[in-house]
Amino acid sequence: MVIEEKAKEEPRIGVYVCHCGLNIAGTIDCEEVTKFAATLPHVVVAKDNRYTCSDQGQEVIKNDIKENNLNRVVVASCSPRLHEPTFRKTCEDAGLNKYLFEMANIREHCSWVHLHEKETATEKAKDLVKAAVAKVALLEPAIETEVPILRKALVIGGGVAGIQAALDLADTGYKVYLVEKQPSIGGRMAQIDKTFPTMDCSICILAPKMSDAGHHPNIELLTNSEVQEVKGYIGNFKIKVLRKPRYVTDDCSACNECSEDCPVTAPNEFDAGLATRKAIYTPFAQAVPSTYIIDHDLCLNKENVMACDKCIQACERQAINFDMKAETVELEVGTIIVATGADIYDASAYLNYGYTRYPNVITSLEFERLINAGGPSGGSLIRPNDLEVPKSVAFIQCVGSRSEKGNLYCSNVCCMNTIKDSLLIKEHWPDVKIYVFYLDIRAFGKGFEDLYRRAKEEGVIFVRGLPAEIIEDSKTHNLWLIGENTLQKEIYKVNVDMVILSVGIEPCIDSDIIQRLFTLSKTSDGFFMEAHPKLKPVDTPTGGVFLAGCAESPKDIKDSVTQASASAARAGILMGQGKVTVEAITPKTIPENCQFCGLCAQVCPYNAIVVDKEKKIVEIIEAACAGCGTCGAECPFEALHMRHFTNAQIHAQIDALTEMNADKKIIAFCCNWCAYAGADFAGVSRMQYPPNVRIIRTMCSGRVSQKFIEHAFAKGVGAVLVAGCHPGDCHYINANHQTQKRVERLWKKMERIGVNKERLQLLWASAAEGERVASKVREMQTNLKKLTLDEVEKSKAAFSRS
Amino acid sequence: MESPIIPKVIREKTKYCFECGICTASCPMVELLSTHYNPRSLLQKALNEPEKTLDDDKLWLCAWCYKCYKRCPQGLKPPEIFQLLKNRAMKLGLFNGFKRATSIMKEKVPFPLICWYACFHPERAEIGDKKITEVLKKLAKQPKLAKGIEEDSNHKDKVAIIGSGPAGLTAASILAEIGYPVTIFEALPEAGGMLRKSMPKYRLPRKVLESEIQRLRDLGVKLRTGTKVSKDISFDEIKQDGYKAIFVAVGAHKSRKLGIEGEELERVVDALDFLWKVNTQQQVNLGKKVGIIGGGNVAIDAARTALLQGAKEVIILYRRSREEMLANPWEVAEAEKEGVKIKFLVTPVRISEKEGRVQGLKCVRMKLGVLDETGRKKPMPIEGSEFSLKLDTVIVAIGETTETTFLPENLEVDKGGWVQVNPFTMETNIAGVFAGGDMVTGPATVIEAILAGKKAAYSINQYLTRIRKKEENHCGD
Repeated sequence: MVIEEKAKEEPRIGVYVCHCGLNIAGTIDCEEVTKFAATLPHVVVAKDNRYTCSDQGQEVIKNDIKENNLNRVVVASCSPRLHEPTFRKTCEDAGLNKYLFEMANIREHCSWVHLHEKETATEKAKDLVKAAVAKVALLEPAIETEVPILRKALVIGGGVAGIQAALDLADTGYKVYLVEKQPSIGGRMAQIDKTFPTMDCSICILAPKMSDAGHHPNIELLTNSEVQEVKGYIGNFKIKVLRKPRYVTDDCSACNECSEDCPVTAPNEFDAGLATRKAIYTPFAQAVPSTYIIDHDLCLNKENVMACDKCIQACERQAINFDMKAETVELEVGTIIVATGADIYDASAYLNYGYTRYPNVITSLEFERLINAGGPSGGSLIRPNDLEVPKSVAFIQCVGSRSEKGNLYCSNVCCMNTIKDSLLIKEHWPDVKIYVFYLDIRAFGKGFEDLYRRAKEEGVIFVRGLPAEIIEDSKTHNLWLIGENTLQKEIYKVNVDMVILSVGIEPCIDSDIIQRLFTLSKTSDGFFMEAHPKLKPVDTPTGGVFLAGCAESPKDIKDSVTQASASAARAGILMGQGKVTVEAITPKTIPENCQFCGLCAQVCPYNAIVVDKEKKIVEIIEAACAGCGTCGAECPFEALHMRHFTNAQIHAQIDALTEMNADKKIIAFCCNWCAYAGADFAGVSRMQYPPNVRIIRTMCSGRVSQKFIEHAFAKGVGAVLVAGCHPGDCHYINANHQTQKRVERLWKKMERIGVNKERLQLLWASAAEGERVASKVREMQTNLKKLTLDEVEKSKAAFSRS
Repeated sequence: MESPIIPKVIREKTKYCFECGICTASCPMVELLSTHYNPRSLLQKALNEPEKTLDDDKLWLCAWCYKCYKRCPQGLKPPEIFQLLKNRAMKLGLFNGFKRATSIMKEKVPFPLICWYACFHPERAEIGDKKITEVLKKLAKQPKLAKGIEEDSNHKDKVAIIGSGPAGLTAASILAEIGYPVTIFEALPEAGGMLRKSMPKYRLPRKVLESEIQRLRDLGVKLRTGTKVSKDISFDEIKQDGYKAIFVAVGAHKSRKLGIEGEELERVVDALDFLWKVNTQQQVNLGKKVGIIGGGNVAIDAARTALLQGAKEVIILYRRSREEMLANPWEVAEAEKEGVKIKFLVTPVRISEKEGRVQGLKCVRMKLGVLDETGRKKPMPIEGSEFSLKLDTVIVAIGETTETTFLPENLEVDKGGWVQVNPFTMETNIAGVFAGGDMVTGPATVIEAILAGKKAAYSINQYLTRIRKKEENHCGD
């Protein structure tokens, strides 16, 4: 076959060094790197280019492959996480197997993080190119296998984003399971009175969509349900959903007779606790499904104990059934959309504002329920302590946002929400005096500025400077706001009847669970991280899983809906194709080396290796294997050939990197998903760190064999860093447990042979923790300075022997 | 390369000052100095053009109360940022800012000298004490205002002040300057309140306090020391004596109890008593190892004083973590530098005894849970984490409460027992009765008490003027 022939040929390598405009060339002398590349073994062509990813840049590569008969290609440019697919495609177009391509990351990992150290950065770039050339020479061609994609989707979260995504997919013709934790879909939007900037009634525009989702033949609604387990991979997910009992059957006609007779009362969550509900209830009038539900924690009836049967008596249709049990529903889907939404910041942490201590200090969500015609006051603006219409109100912005005390980010919607709320008050009660205390008014969207102008026209008073404290008049329950008008440089003391705290948005309380279930990443803000902030804004790093709505970041309704349709389209593309190729990075067994010890099978997180010791058979189930490589790291007999990340290839990288000044260098093994991506993030954010670190990418830190580390020390390297995802966040279930074990084992060995174990470091860093990676390198560099040549020689000798 | 005036770490954090103005609106010095002082704009100036700030007198006008830090949404510590600039100014020999600041203080703030010593800590800037003492001595030499600045100060209405702490003294001084006959009732044999009772001498030399009190006497203020209201004279008797307005500022002197076994033992002392004894040269036998329970400024003062008294080892036990400590971070740092050890997340459960004396302390480790009503994470005991400490003395500094039993029953107090006042006028719910200082706010700083005294004084003046005008109109009828 052609492929095998190519592999046997003498390597003929082309190296392309990208300037990336000035992104790389501003720091690195690209011409010098190119000249250096030309001197490397097997390199036939070495060229530099302003933009290698441009059409012209790619044409150069294609021509060279044909004209110079290249059989290997290296591009030294940005992160492979960004453009590896681009250049693999280039190779394929020119008839070269795409697995014969390698990238050297001289932008995110070099020029951007060593902006002010041009010479050493250039030296580092040379090293990285050298390592890539060494690896590419050993690469082997491969053919990818195809996996079918189930044409069914799961949408988690029934807020406006989840509803929109489900409707779009269902309308395209795919079966959709919409899972919602609450008894009804609708989410936060159902609670809001009006929407900005057009002042539409929120529930009026949402209710038809809710109803559509409820009746759509392609949508199966699973309310009062939570995802419990996720297995499988892109195209073939197996999901377990826990469906909690409603204790009311579909025969319910929502007549409310049961609720009237129910003796148990509790605060109604939907009304932000401002009104009450019964133990048997429907969250709100437009709820979908409209079937009532019994709150089991409140109901007097416990398991096997019937203390009250008032609802049963009241229900003419006999729809109440206390024998209902929780059930686990098993679903098989091809794609997943996470639309789990957000929570509201708890303002009681702001002690100086007295929320929960002063009755007339409320939150913006409580205000929405107060001003809503379907709310507890029937839409009348009243203050909680005496139910009087306030003559003056104050909004306080940024409560829980843009603050160390709450969350550092801007919650995105509160400014416009306040402006909308102030206009709502003016619309019905024009004489109410309204103050808005703000830091910055952010009216950046379409139609937002107009709304802001209208509020100013209507006489809403905007004061720059947040109150330092609110003092309540104990007799009247009016509130004194004391702060500084920072534009006038004056202290204000303002007396109002009611204060509305414009509270921020937080990642939802379940987001940790969702993160674990789908091995997602989070940014430092706690929201889920997209695969690329610009170009893949609704994809996640996990194949087949997409994001929509506030789960990704705080956003308004319009943006949530836009994103929902986008993720539906992304999921639809996958399902439309019906199949996806899986990277050819799974292992092959080398039967002549295998001793059938079974260690590989023990560490495999996917149970994808079957070893029969008696029959002397070892088999890899390729469809189940995800390619983490922890089996290859565990095998003591070199009996597993980890494709595209072979022992020989990684050793060649280490050799190339340690040829010169090894004792001054740090070799870092970084997993593709978290640590490597974290280092990329450090680059994108221009976080500066010492240039003597050399990063080697593996899919999982579990691939890092003890032998790699020992080899590096034997080559005289100063220090080694092994970096992976945080425990529990591993993208290969728990393969990084093995990483930890291996590093700990090595630490013990180092202690035993008298090598300073500080020279081997283990770091858990997520894709958002660029600073963590950078500061670790800084810390290691400080220690490296103290390293003596004797110590290096000692470890060299000790590890060469072993 | 010259080191930056504001280190990178602080600069990084301070970038996120969005100028919300909360620091300025919280600052007692802003209220005392009105437009002259604005920590927000000073901070901005310091960040943008630090060099230009060095000669600014405003740098020296921060009273280290940390109210700004406690409320700052970004958790910035302006006092410490200003300190860096002061150090720099001193290095460059820029002394004029400090000098100007002293004259501003003299003009605007009652008892400037007490403030300089007890609150402003110019000595923390890296200069010799000598230079400061020179300037402050000059300040002390120039007697401030004489009696009766107001032309028509022919006031006859007598004002009574109960308590001679910083709030009481301030109010007395201002009212006497306006021309009111003022009498201070003080339970202790000498005036000064907490300034005398619990403020360590290293923080406030007693000579300074004496001279300021003497100045007050010179103004004609009558000091009835050793007169406890309720025991020696009743509140009603004061009223009947013809005092038209009464300012109550007795502070918070009642130590809270731990409520654990062994509290009655010898050598279990409350921190205020301990400081009082040391300050009045009474014999205090601490033994070698002293444990202090609590995390406020009083705990820190007690710890540092215990070291000065010769204790070999002083350990502060605090049930929350460093972040939640109410003590000023700077004071904590100073105490630690002097050798005070602090154990966090620890609470005592029993004091063990040997022959009626403290032998040790059984403690339990705590973990922090959800936010409590004070906005801090609530400490909760970790089961099975008990451990014992050998101690010779236990000093309890877990907070103080106030005493209101001598006041009319209908006086409004809140749930914590603190007196409720109108925060702007310091009026209580009883006409003619004003209150301020720690008995309103709970234990706070000297500068806050001085501000309360000043507010109360002006408000009393307004109140009495109003009444007088009413009476005059009435007579004219």
